[in-house]
Amino acid sequence: MTLAVRDADALVFAADMYGIQFDQLAALTGGDRSARAAAKRWRDLGYAETARLTEGPAWLWVTRAGLAACGREYQARKPALPQLAHIRAVAATRIALEATGAYRQASAFWRCERRIRARHGRGIRQHLPDGEVHWPDSAPVAWAGECWAIEAEVTPKTVARTTAIMREILTRTGDYGCPAAEAAVPGGPPRHARALYLCSPAALTTVLNARALLGPLAARIEVRDLPPGAQL
Amino acid sequence: MRHRPHSYAVEVPSSTFGRVAGVRAMKREPDRYARHPVRRALARGLWRLLGLAVLTAVAAALAPVTLAAAAAAAAGWWRGWPPRRLYTTAAWCLPMTAAWLAAVAAWPARVGPGGLWLRAAAAPYRAWLASWQLAAHGHLAAAVVAAAPPAVPLGVLAGGLAWQYRLFRMRTGAGGLTPAAPATFDSRLWRRQVRTAKALLAAPGALPLISRNGLVVTGAAIRSVRHRGGPGRAAAIPYPRLRSHQVVIGSTGTGKTTLLLRLWAGFMAAGLRRYAAGAANRPLLVVLDCKGGASSRKVADRTRRVLRDAGARSTAIWPDEASLSLWTLPPGQLVTTLLDLIEHGTGGAAYYTDVMEAIVSLAVSAPCGPPVCSADFLARLDPGWLAASYAASGDGAAVTTIRSGKRGFEDVELRFRALWRRLGAGLDGGGSFGDADAWYCVLEGTAEGAVAEAQARALTDLLAHYAVSGQREILLAVDEFSAVSRRLPIWRLYERARALGLAVQVSAQSWEGLADTDDERQRIAATAEGGIWLLRTPRPGPVSELAGTRAYVDTTRRFAGQGAWAGDGMSRTRLVPVLDADIVRQLDVGQAAYVYRGGVTYVQVKRLTGRQAALAPAAGDAPTMPLPAVAVPAQWPPVPPPPPDASEVLDEAFGARHE
Repeated sequence: MTLAVRDADALVFAADMYGIQFDQLAALTGGDRSARAAAKRWRDLGYAETARLTEGPAWLWVTRAGLAACGREYQARKPALPQLAHIRAVAATRIALEATGAYRQASAFWRCERRIRARHGRGIRQHLPDGEVHWPDSAPVAWAGECWAIEAEVTPKTVARTTAIMREILTRTGDYGCPAAEAAVPGGPPRHARALYLCSPAALTTVLNARALLGPLAARIEVRDLPPGAQL
Repeated sequence: MRHRPHSYAVEVPSSTFGRVAGVRAMKREPDRYARHPVRRALARGLWRLLGLAVLTAVAAALAPVTLAAAAAAAAGWWRGWPPRRLYTTAAWCLPMTAAWLAAVAAWPARVGPGGLWLRAAAAPYRAWLASWQLAAHGHLAAAVVAAAPPAVPLGVLAGGLAWQYRLFRMRTGAGGLTPAAPATFDSRLWRRQVRTAKALLAAPGALPLISRNGLVVTGAAIRSVRHRGGPGRAAAIPYPRLRSHQVVIGSTGTGKTTLLLRLWAGFMAAGLRRYAAGAANRPLLVVLDCKGGASSRKVADRTRRVLRDAGARSTAIWPDEASLSLWTLPPGQLVTTLLDLIEHGTGGAAYYTDVMEAIVSLAVSAPCGPPVCSADFLARLDPGWLAASYAASGDGAAVTTIRSGKRGFEDVELRFRALWRRLGAGLDGGGSFGDADAWYCVLEGTAEGAVAEAQARALTDLLAHYAVSGQREILLAVDEFSAVSRRLPIWRLYERARALGLAVQVSAQSWEGLADTDDERQRIAATAEGGIWLLRTPRPGPVSELAGTRAYVDTTRRFAGQGAWAGDGMSRTRLVPVLDADIVRQLDVGQAAYVYRGGVTYVQVKRLTGRQAALAPAAGDAPTMPLPAVAVPAQWPPVPPPPPDASEVLDEAFGARHE
């Protein structure tokens, strides 16, 4: 039994995003039937497991064997219940962004939070973005060469905490997991040219207030709504 | 053949400690049997049989006491308890006996005739008689109840004595069938004592972080020599010892971090308790982790969670999440620290050192006040600006100095610019040690030694300056400090800390890792008034020497030549180290030897785990990340121009922008 190229991409997507719901999988594979067929193939191969964790479509997550097949060195685990809403929001954000013409034309790269965490080391409580989008230098867009930090805000934090996170994202100069001395070097080019906040209606006010406290740095914060259907 | 040391005349001088005692032995048999070996053997056998018969008869007659004694001795053996614990148990049984006697005195109808004192005096005998009668009629449970009040304390006491005798014989090398028996006994006893300690660790709530009398509990005691407590007891140290210098030595993977976390959490919890009672200032823990890398950050995260559970309001992780400001130092100290951050040569290079000192001093002491950030400082290393500044204040001498040293400004500025680029923002923020209850400072001593050395120097200067204010009770814990101690010898840090009232806790993976030279190592270990923690390490010898010696009775046996050892030999006292180096070399993970004032306690350290970080803090729960990540002055770094408009892709994916 083999995987189609499209299925393989969807499997890697599910592995990177901790888990995925069937409607989102359908968006990746091209339809409900193909999504169910892909899920069945993965289950038969031992690459994935499925279960109904929330209301609505079932969830699918990648097993250890599936992660090995994808070449990912993550720790295999079932998505935690409290994180499902956030996982879905980030996955929806990624699907929406990857569906744009500019993204595909530029061959941009989504570096997921799970991948950053795997490099950064487990157990670290430092804030990590929900994802990074790397735009190649050769991309035919004005922002070529930039790295964006992606934050999906489903539930509101405090304004102070959100401001601190924004400031950390915008002043960071080194990659996650780099030596401490390189994390924020004065005068060095910032790692993230901008931070993209995708907010639920509940979190929108907090994010806007937090951005207002940033002063000149606020110009590098983009605040948008979560794509339709991103919330559970 | 059993060996009988009590039949020897062992001469032990009264002042044995400090010198080897004299030795004398004598034969145990009377002279009249010396020439008749057959008669001698027969007589010995008969006497032994007779003694055994009498002992058996007494034991049978006092069966309740015998059973209790056997049970107590077996418990002592099984749990590896010291005899003192059995004596304590016997003492705790006495209220039962007293209540029983009171009942006997107050309730004559059931126990027999006689006056008050007669009934009380005869009560044990009558209880013994009653138990036998009940047993004879098949009422075994009633027989046990009848005999228990006098028999249990007496039996436990007898069991304790028997267990003490056994320990004494084995400790002196006189017990067991062969000379190797004591060593085997000791190793088995150690295993049972470890098992007892682990059982105590596993018991829920048995080992709180702070005991009821305010001691810091580190784990369960396995064995102690010249210390109070013992197997099955909590190993606890008073808070003042954590406020004294301590040394922790242990190889990688032996549980050093677990022990350190326990000690730090204990310091924090006990310190906060004293602070709440108004007995002391608020505690401050500063950890300098001089290894760096991802492992240090994992430990930092664990430390934060553990300290949070211990009551710490906030833990700052430097430089990843929090920063300090070097520019808060007073100008004089700031000049010294800035100069120390840069490496200088000797000989001819001393000239340039003097030039640099003069320029830095002028920049820091400029009439407009000391610099507020690195950018401000670097901007001052401009001879034109500096001369104008001093000229405006009418300081002609300074202007002359600036003009004469004009050629050196570019070099000095170049060196400091390179220094600040390498140091990062960790020392250029707006934080202070007073902002948090604990600071975990990660120095990249392994990857970038030179940078870490400069950072260590700056951090210790900042801490020393903060300590002068006397606002906090400070514990400075330095791990593998020798990796960054080239410019700041650790013994100097020790002495400086002592003068400032700081406690320093030095930890290293080996004796050699404590400091660069053996003289420094000895100096550090010898001044550790709070004690030395030794985990498994291949070379515990130097600490063992420091721990001192104790008198030890050593018994030899004569080999009879027929496959057995004869019953005579010699005993002598000799001095052996209090800290058994072989035990230290064989310590398991999580076991430590605590050396303090000529005694040692072997401890099974209780692992301390903080609650896993919640996804979101609960309502009213103080967040543990108190400071904005890498606080930097508003002017630095300069704000980059806004990025190009990306509305094309964002509008398509997510809709309109929120302004």
